[in-house]
Amino acid sequence: MLKTIFPTLTRFRFAIQILMLFVTVYGGVLLGNYTVDRISQALPSLACAYDKSTGDHCILIVNQHQFHHRIGEALVKAQEVTYKILIPTMISVATFFAFFFFLNKAFCGWVCPMGTVQEIVYRIGRKLGRPLHRFDRGNVGRVRPVKWLLLLVLVLGLPLLAGLGTVSNELGDPFCQVCPSRLATTLLTADTEQIAVKTSSGIGFFLGALGNTLFGFVIIAALVARQPFCRICPLLSWNALFQRLSPMQLVKKQNDKCDKCSVCEKACPMDIHEIGREYGRKAFHEDCTLCGRCVEFCPDDDVIQIKFLGMPLFRSSREQYKYRVKLETPEGTSKKRVIPILPKPVSDNG
Amino acid sequence: MRMNAIGVLLLVFAPLSTATEPPRAVVQGGHDHAAMSDAMGVRDMPITTAWTELPTLKTKMSGANRESRIITVMPQNIVAASIDAWSNNLQDADAHRQLPMELGGARLDKPTTGGFQMLTAREERRDAVHVASTVYYFGERSAKNPTAMFMRQKNELEIIPQPFPREHSRYRANEDWQFLARFNGQPLAGQKVDLLTSNGSRMVLMTDAAGVLTVHVPDDFKKIEEVKQGGGHDHSPRRGADLVLATQHVANGKTYLTAFNSTYGPDAFDQRSLALGLGFILLGMIGATPLLRQRKNKKPVVVNTNNKES
Repeated sequence: MLKTIFPTLTRFRFAIQILMLFVTVYGGVLLGNYTVDRISQALPSLACAYDKSTGDHCILIVNQHQFHHRIGEALVKAQEVTYKILIPTMISVATFFAFFFFLNKAFCGWVCPMGTVQEIVYRIGRKLGRPLHRFDRGNVGRVRPVKWLLLLVLVLGLPLLAGLGTVSNELGDPFCQVCPSRLATTLLTADTEQIAVKTSSGIGFFLGALGNTLFGFVIIAALVARQPFCRICPLLSWNALFQRLSPMQLVKKQNDKCDKCSVCEKACPMDIHEIGREYGRKAFHEDCTLCGRCVEFCPDDDVIQIKFLGMPLFRSSREQYKYRVKLETPEGTSKKRVIPILPKPVSDNG
Repeated sequence: MRMNAIGVLLLVFAPLSTATEPPRAVVQGGHDHAAMSDAMGVRDMPITTAWTELPTLKTKMSGANRESRIITVMPQNIVAASIDAWSNNLQDADAHRQLPMELGGARLDKPTTGGFQMLTAREERRDAVHVASTVYYFGERSAKNPTAMFMRQKNELEIIPQPFPREHSRYRANEDWQFLARFNGQPLAGQKVDLLTSNGSRMVLMTDAAGVLTVHVPDDFKKIEEVKQGGGHDHSPRRGADLVLATQHVANGKTYLTAFNSTYGPDAFDQRSLALGLGFILLGMIGATPLLRQRKNKKPVVVNTNNKES
């Protein structure tokens, strides 16, 4: 029955993504106005506090608050960093981890509303026959440090400095001000307030302008590149800090055929080339979102698996591979007809 | 038995010619801290009753930091021996507390469950009952849904927010919010309710057949001068003002007057530019447009979907 409704992992994941999109964007409407106080307020995926109907908040807004209001303020007042300051921060991290423990980075690949929006836009791009831009093995390394930089500067550094009084209070939650998910999710609730750029101060204006420009860029880029914002999202790096501590893992066995294949690399929306040539721990890369496409498109039985507590939840199989490639290419282009309003692309790797 | 309340209330509002203190205007960045500040009371704001003679409850924060914060509830235009605090958790020991009045007000300690607190003050005279009510919010993870607490009957005549703005949100100008007016638990259809704001707005509204009042929060901030705040962070409000909803009902020879007060902020687009925002989004889109073009002289790579080698 379940297999009839969800013949592929991708379809099952997409159903979960849509469900979670409703929870993270419209959860307050669906589950009650005050739901936002009651689930976690430390979700391991983007869920915007600016969205007036969201069902939960992401961990990043909480982190920024704590570095801004608690740690920074405590340090500037030369108080001891007592349990009253550390405990709330630790509770947030513990709450986050209580969720993260079970799903690991699947929060990125299955729950995050911004990830879902980008995937939908990418599908539109495939339907329109647009080219696909990828990071190859030589240049993917250039973009990967950006997510760590954003985590250190925008989520932790500037909020802490704002709490210390070193920089303006307007830099108390700078990541939220540039996060495209803030605009995407509030727009999905027909709220245009967040699009409007603040004009009351230079910093507010700069952050708003930067955030809006980034949002515009991401929406167009998502037509031709998979998950463009995910690659620099500080939540990806935050989650990567904990990814080895969850029983949910991506596991890959060594296989001699992998050197000649690389289909899983092409299937990976994050351009993790290590999945094709590495195995063991190295195959579960920090950029992995546990979307499972590499498992679906691996043509050999049991080479790649998603395991929970050592038990395989989903594993590669030749039968699944054959079924998947009938539907779409590993890059995600449907084998069905594209909308012929634009010139046909040269290839997926254009 | 219902009686027209507006006549009495108009007499109350008529002498409001004293100077209204302009709300302190502070510009802050980031998310809507003012929303939390408003629900959490105003730090060190002086007591001012000049803008209304209706019974209200003002909450005040004092203390150097979050850990030493003291919340004081100050009744205005009402004489009450204590303040009733209703917790969103109806099951615990803090579900209903009576906070004794001390010099300067009643101290409101954070209950273990946190979340929303409904505060009411009651004054009984021989033939009249006056009630003031407001909502205070303690930020707390996993706080219980306060809807049942709001709906629980606390006094005869009540104005109940439906819903109250949640964390990171608040009443704002040009927004529509709903309230339920009821007497002894029964909705009051066609009940006149007065809305007053500390910015000087006055209007008379009426509940619908279900006793629900829809309030369009007035946009009356236009002439308020802003004051920019320097460094440091103290959760002070941005631009904010007070509003109060009041209604009156006569039954069993007694006149019941109830008022619900809260704070509200300026319009969502105040000091923001939608046109500029759209312009920057367009700029980003234009920046990404070259990616939409096909690359030339790129050798096609065909994926071996049959994978015959494996």
